[in-house]
Amino acid sequence: MATEHANTEEKSGYKYLGADRKRVEDPRLLVGRGGYIADLKLPGMLHAAILRSPVPHARIRSVDATEALKLPGVVAVVTGEDCKAKMNPCMNFGPASIAQYPLAVDKVRYVGEAVAAVVAESRYIAEDAVELLEVDFEDLPPVTDPMAAMEPGSALLHEEHGSNIGYERTFEFGDVNAAFSQADFVVEDTLHWGRSAGMPMETSGAVAHPGLNGVLEIYCNSLNFSYFSFLIASALKLPSNKLTMKPVPAGGSFGSKFTAHKVPTLTGFLALQVGRPVSYIEDRIDHLMNSDHHASDRYYDARMGFRDDGTIVGLDIDVVDDYGAYMQFGVGTHGNAFSQIVGPYRFRDVKYHVRAVLTNKCQQGAYRGFGSEVHNWVLERLVDKAARRLGLAPEEIRRRNFIQPDQFPYKIPGGNVYDSGNYPAVLDKALSMIDLDKWRDEQKRLREEEGRYIGIGLATTQERSVFSATEFWALMDNPAFPLTSSPESATVTIDPTGEFQLLLHCQSMWGNSPETVGATVLAEEFGIAPESVNIRYADSAHALPGTGPGGSRYTVMLAGAVRGAARKLQKKLIDIAAHTLEVAAEDLELVDARVQVKGAPERSLTLAELAGTAYFFALNLPEGMTSGLEESYTYDHPYTTLPSPDRSDLGVFYPIMGHACHIAVLEVDPDTGILSFLDYVAVHDAGTIVNPKSLGGHVTGGAAQGLGSTLYEELAYDEDGQFKSSTFMDYLIPTANEVPAFRMAHVETPSPFTEYGIKGGGEGGRMVTPSVVSAAIDDALRDFGMRVRELPVKPSEIVATVQAGRAAAGSA
Amino acid sequence: MKPPAFTYCDPDSVDEAVALKNEYGIDSLVLAGGQSLLPMLNIRLARPEALIDINRISDLQKIERWSDVLEIGAGVRQYQLEDHPLVQELVPLLPQAVKFIGHIENRHRGTVGGSIAHADSAAELPCTAVALDATLVVRGPSGSRTIAARDFFQGWMTTALEPEEVLVAVRYPVMPWTAGHGFVEVARREGDFALAGAAAVVNLGEDGRIASLAVSAASISDTPVRATAVEQALAGELPTKENIARAAKEIVPSVTSGDDMHATRAYRQHLATVVVQRAITAAVARAHERSNAQ
Repeated sequence: MATEHANTEEKSGYKYLGADRKRVEDPRLLVGRGGYIADLKLPGMLHAAILRSPVPHARIRSVDATEALKLPGVVAVVTGEDCKAKMNPCMNFGPASIAQYPLAVDKVRYVGEAVAAVVAESRYIAEDAVELLEVDFEDLPPVTDPMAAMEPGSALLHEEHGSNIGYERTFEFGDVNAAFSQADFVVEDTLHWGRSAGMPMETSGAVAHPGLNGVLEIYCNSLNFSYFSFLIASALKLPSNKLTMKPVPAGGSFGSKFTAHKVPTLTGFLALQVGRPVSYIEDRIDHLMNSDHHASDRYYDARMGFRDDGTIVGLDIDVVDDYGAYMQFGVGTHGNAFSQIVGPYRFRDVKYHVRAVLTNKCQQGAYRGFGSEVHNWVLERLVDKAARRLGLAPEEIRRRNFIQPDQFPYKIPGGNVYDSGNYPAVLDKALSMIDLDKWRDEQKRLREEEGRYIGIGLATTQERSVFSATEFWALMDNPAFPLTSSPESATVTIDPTGEFQLLLHCQSMWGNSPETVGATVLAEEFGIAPESVNIRYADSAHALPGTGPGGSRYTVMLAGAVRGAARKLQKKLIDIAAHTLEVAAEDLELVDARVQVKGAPERSLTLAELAGTAYFFALNLPEGMTSGLEESYTYDHPYTTLPSPDRSDLGVFYPIMGHACHIAVLEVDPDTGILSFLDYVAVHDAGTIVNPKSLGGHVTGGAAQGLGSTLYEELAYDEDGQFKSSTFMDYLIPTANEVPAFRMAHVETPSPFTEYGIKGGGEGGRMVTPSVVSAAIDDALRDFGMRVRELPVKPSEIVATVQAGRAAAGSA
Repeated sequence: MKPPAFTYCDPDSVDEAVALKNEYGIDSLVLAGGQSLLPMLNIRLARPEALIDINRISDLQKIERWSDVLEIGAGVRQYQLEDHPLVQELVPLLPQAVKFIGHIENRHRGTVGGSIAHADSAAELPCTAVALDATLVVRGPSGSRTIAARDFFQGWMTTALEPEEVLVAVRYPVMPWTAGHGFVEVARREGDFALAGAAAVVNLGEDGRIASLAVSAASISDTPVRATAVEQALAGELPTKENIARAAKEIVPSVTSGDDMHATRAYRQHLATVVVQRAITAAVARAHERSNAQ
């Protein structure tokens, strides 16, 4: 697999931003010195292993640890009873009546749920002891079909909640019935997006250490700890100043480590029970069946109204989301759908009925797109269906519906605002990179002359970025904690010799490039070499406000924080230089790591000279200035507003809006159902680009994951609630052999609301591949009546459709 | 994902390995390349009392010709078959099939004997052994014996090997130079376990009709399947597209695997006919090439 960059637009006057740059993170990662959580060994450290529930739904009558505790090397066995007695429920953004502990209390609710933990001298002994635990389960009826789960007679997951519907609401923006009455026709579809998940090489893990002064230290690779560590402290019944979360680089997340709280919470609890350091690292089976990260599992009845010229008049969505056993993030994944509910299209009338249903499956968490990718797939399925009916090319129906470049900022139905965009330019760029007429001729020729089936798909996506915290609760009527802050902080230090230190205030290293971004911004602001910056991470005891990565926010937010701190330092440097050179500050400028007199650059001072003065020559400083060169800056979300009390308007919560267009050409073997790609073009607009190389990596990785969700990856449960995907023999992730060489280009439409005009670009790849590949499969096999309605699309389904199509043609 | 405790033995000779097998019997497992066994240990699907590591036994690592037989030691790494001159010349079906085993990393460690003794019905080496009428050489406390490949595979990961026996070599009859061969496999991703696979070896008569045909299929049942009904349907026939397609359908009754994560039963039945048809077609094309070259 190779990725080809083409035609990145020539850009503005930046020297460092926008240039291809190797990541400053790479050298240590490539030589195996990333320092991941499994590398951390503390003196006297114990190891934990988990007993996972073998049954989907049962009352726990008892856990007998007698034999396990007799095994030499076993230190403790901890159960849900201990959690119930000594903990508060875990952090939860869903209904309070759906409580969760890191070990099941009273009931197990899915196969794989943690029932008990053994702490032992080694992981081997801990796993031996897990086999000796005896649990007496009283089986309850498994609830696996979300439709049946909503029936009145269904067994209940959470008796306290009183229903298996965790959340239900209808949102209507505009008047869909009135809009549809104006439509010439309405297309409808029944669609199912299956469960998949981000699957980093490194699982979630934590090492907890009961330290000095009664402070519990938890090293972990999950995210957002500086934002939410007080919630982990609360679960552990610790004062928040007695818990320090220590950041450890994550070996990939893709959302799967976003607020992944159960692993650090449990590990902290175990360490408190035994009074020694404890390590708990999920193995792959733990991670696949008992993680925080299974993603959307949605059943749609969707309708879209059109006029005969192809313009969309409205959208009516009825979605049932199979949430699994708990609702830790509430229905935030549907909030993401609301952030770009009309896609790049102009229509104004939308209805959205959502039911979040509780079933005996693992809970949902975050995965690249966070639910907006599912909604985009539904939108694009409907648009393609209308295009087929009208005989319009996929590019033409989209062009007729695009929001136009002069309409921004554009407030969409539901209240979110799109900051800027040029969707026709992105489409034109994509079309310029591939000869669709040639491919369409070739498609016809191969079908007629060789009986080969190639398909062409084209799809677009919005790529919302930079979430505001209001999205956590905006869909709730009476949120417990309607917070509005989602800031990011940076501390920049120029040391006495003029070298730079950058301190980040969250756990931001999860496969993205926070250090490259921070260093590039410092290079742009000071004219220093990006590779010269040393970067560190603050633990939660020292961290300034920070939210962490997620929702493609970190590049934008970090650039804002670093630039804010840089401006404060620039002012101080210029003031020192003005005092030293005896010129007015406004006559000075900072160019290429020197402060110089405008028009007389020979009169200048280097950063090292100015830093020396700042640290060691207080008598040479301007009056009132204190020694040193360190500044911090907290950058708040650039543009967010409150939702209206009745939620007829959800406010502005995801306004930094990217866009992408992908075109795929693939061949389907109708006898085996196996696909191969012939060409693939991807054009993205993520505003001002910081680093085309790392943005290209995001697009490539995201698109590969979208391919996984479309064709291969499936977290499946059978009707009895047994989990069918507990190893990589069953859960198939596309490899370099399956992922096509993406030919990539970028359009840059700067955001008016962010520093430098940067937009987030971490998720768009995954948000569009499902749509484009579905369209291409339909196109390849249209003679057989193929229509992708369920993901993943398996070879067996393709062959069944071909056979049915052939049988129908034969009998006709 | 840690294995339960086991006793580790690393014999230097086949006799020593057999003695250990005799001592531990059914509670021992042979460790060769470990590509299937180690994951099974780590998820505790296998819990042997003793692990007998045969990687140090150099006698098991030979490839030799004995008149009309190519003998490949059980400890030979799978990747060695890919471009070994003797294998390419004498049993050219093997290099073609071996490339479908996992990825190159797996083939660097995985052994010929390991795959056959593991007896996964989706695996390429058991399937080709059945098509090629290979003979398996095993040694026990009372000496060596041979077992025909068609009798060796008895059920899901079950073989005719006795608990105190060790598989030491596979003997492949040398293929006639004019024979054609084909190996076709369909998997969801490159390197995955086959959804279905087929091997075919054909000899054409001077009249262009099929003089002899051997076909086997992988991943359609508990064991690799010798497709005798397909062979019979084509015996003495011209290898036309229609004849091959018609004969390939004879594989369907042999498909006994049910629905799983990756394939429905109906899909597997269909796919079995597709891979059988394609393998025979490839074998016939190859036989024509060889005849024309002669």
